[in-house]
Amino acid sequence: MHIPLEHYLIVSGILFSLGLLGVIMRRNLLVIYMCLELMLNAANLALVAMSRFNDNLNGQIMVFFIITVAAAEVSVGLALIVALYRKRQTAHVEDLTTMKN
Amino acid sequence: MSGISYSEILKLVAPEMLVSLAALAVLAIDLLVMREAPQRYRFWTGAAFAGLGCGLAIAWLLAMNPPPHSMSAGLSLLQGTYADDVLVRLVKVALLVMTLFTLAISMESNFTDHIGEYLALILLATVGMMFLVSSENLLMVFISLELTSLSLYILTAFNKRNVESAEAALKYFLFGGMSAAFTLFGLSLVYGLAGSIQFSEIYSKLHAAKIDTLLLAAIVMTVIGFGFKIAAVPFHLWAPDAYQGAPTPSAAFIASGSKVASFFIFAKLMMQAFAGAEGNGAWRHFTPGWLPVVATVAACSMLLGNLAAIVQGNVKRLLAYSAIAHAGYALLGLLSNSQQGMSSLIYYIVTYGLTVLGAFGVVAIVEERTGDASISSFAGLGRRQPLLGLCMMVFMLSLAGIPPLAGFFGKFYLFTAAIGAGKDMGMLWLVIFAIAMSAVSLYYYLQVLKQIYVVPAVEDSRPIVVPVSSRIILSLLALVVVVLGCAPELLLGRLITAIKLASHQ
Amino acid sequence: MSDYLFYIFAALTVICGALVIINKNPINSAMFLVLSIASMAGLFVLLHAFFLAAVQVLVYAGAVMVLFLFVIMLLDLKEEQRRKINTFGAVTGVASVAAIGYVFYQSIRNTPLPNAVAHSEGDTVVLGKLLFTDYVLPFEILSILLLVAMVGVILLSKKDLK
Repeated sequence: MHIPLEHYLIVSGILFSLGLLGVIMRRNLLVIYMCLELMLNAANLALVAMSRFNDNLNGQIMVFFIITVAAAEVSVGLALIVALYRKRQTAHVEDLTTMKN
Repeated sequence: MSGISYSEILKLVAPEMLVSLAALAVLAIDLLVMREAPQRYRFWTGAAFAGLGCGLAIAWLLAMNPPPHSMSAGLSLLQGTYADDVLVRLVKVALLVMTLFTLAISMESNFTDHIGEYLALILLATVGMMFLVSSENLLMVFISLELTSLSLYILTAFNKRNVESAEAALKYFLFGGMSAAFTLFGLSLVYGLAGSIQFSEIYSKLHAAKIDTLLLAAIVMTVIGFGFKIAAVPFHLWAPDAYQGAPTPSAAFIASGSKVASFFIFAKLMMQAFAGAEGNGAWRHFTPGWLPVVATVAACSMLLGNLAAIVQGNVKRLLAYSAIAHAGYALLGLLSNSQQGMSSLIYYIVTYGLTVLGAFGVVAIVEERTGDASISSFAGLGRRQPLLGLCMMVFMLSLAGIPPLAGFFGKFYLFTAAIGAGKDMGMLWLVIFAIAMSAVSLYYYLQVLKQIYVVPAVEDSRPIVVPVSSRIILSLLALVVVVLGCAPELLLGRLITAIKLASHQ
Repeated sequence: MSDYLFYIFAALTVICGALVIINKNPINSAMFLVLSIASMAGLFVLLHAFFLAAVQVLVYAGAVMVLFLFVIMLLDLKEEQRRKINTFGAVTGVASVAAIGYVFYQSIRNTPLPNAVAHSEGDTVVLGKLLFTDYVLPFEILSILLLVAMVGVILLSKKDLK
């Protein structure tokens, strides 16, 4: 094993930043969800790498749970989008403006 | 297997089991038996079973001695995934009481036909909070936090007749997802640096080491993640919309139960796992650590929450901004970073939760009868329904921190704890700021009271009819707020002994 | 050999991740998300997390992606054309994210990282044993969480009859 932990963390950091950038910049709710998935996966990569380099399996266990939770979360999120679309025929963040003081 | 059998685990988590079983029972009964029954009966049956579950869990928590392994202290099992001591039990009881009140104030609203699902989700969210409170393990924190949040997103979207509800839920979901990602990334870094996900091991690994920049990044990310959950500035953007759009009982639950649980675990994580990485938050003596980060967040929350609340025309939105401000005050307890700070934080957030439950209870009734929750629809409430007006007055004044109500004593105790913390009263700057800001907050709470007592009702001045059950519940909440204000040691005394016991582990 | 594989998979992960946020068409974004996640599974294999690599591919490519595509088709989303990108927002977004990334990079550089000699293999047997002993409680909570998600999804996406 020649690749140091540092490299894995950098990849994971880039992925996290990309996801964050997408969440900030994109306007389509579905794409925002995908970017959230990217962020979660960045954490996953960091955890697996840390798990390897700390020589215990806690990190891997955590990733197992995160994957499951992420799947459940996506399903709820998509259901929310569908519910909103039924009422408003939109899936864009700018249109989420019903509530103004 | 750390020497414990499945049946023992089952016995240990009995309170959570009882509540989850109640949730399943409510779901099954509502879907199988009560399908055709009129809505009221469905609600009463469901709520009865839900209440039974919560009641049994409370009884279990109060009656059972802490496990025999350790009579005085608590215990932490299975890699810290389940910790049980007197303090944790006390907080769980508080959570269950809040759940009971949430169930009670949902009783009169009819925003949904899916009653079984609604009640079951409230119970399952409570299960999440209970597990959250007793976790001493990063994985467990994450899982139970997600269980709670997921249920709350759905509860927010529950009013399918209203567009605002779906929109509020989406915003809540998006910010919640961000928060989860940040928390996770932060926690993954913590795990990497400490090599463990258990609070105690993280502490023993990190407290001696010098604070690396990566650890600092991890701490900041964790604070960001929890900042979303407790709606502290600058991570508060979801709160006003979520409170406004959500069905009022759901909003009450988000504001009370989930706040209590998140604050408790946030404080526990910071004080236990990151003890040794505090840094210094005293004025002009900032050194890196979590104290200065939290101090900044607290100051921003108090400032923005209170100022933005002044211009709100909708009472639910107003309560949301006031919740942001209160999150700022409560963080003072965390900043004290002491046992006294912890007890003041829990006392404050529990009394706040009960008060805000009552306030939302009144809002729910007014909204139901007048059609919206704008401030003007409270006009003349004092005459139209004197009891409701009186209750609202108690809640508003308690939120503003007027003696002799619970809110006053909570603030007082928080501020004393914060002043006494650290060397040379380092937190004094923040306390002075907090006192100034609570003076500002008086203005908008009085604004609501002015509508209730001074401004006459314009269109419709007939009395509002309120069912006896709601009257009893709201008066009960108001009574609790008054009693806890006059005799704070009822709760505080128990908290202090519990914290002492828990820290002797 | 495995060094080269690392760079290949890492590059794929990052590039596909970037393409997710650049692409205008949600379907393309979804496809690149799968690719990014699949290459990450490759990285997992390099880290000896075999079970997780399999789960990653199964859950993401098999379940999450189908969900995404299904909803995209259901809503019949068009490409994002009607709106221009807000330049100010984009610039501040890029700047702040770049700042965060830089801080993170510096902190990785300046922090001594753990470097244990790894023996732990993430195969199914070991992970399964851990799941049913030490982590049995979170595992059970997951089942509650899935129940919540199921109830919620049915409730939210079902049309009310009235």
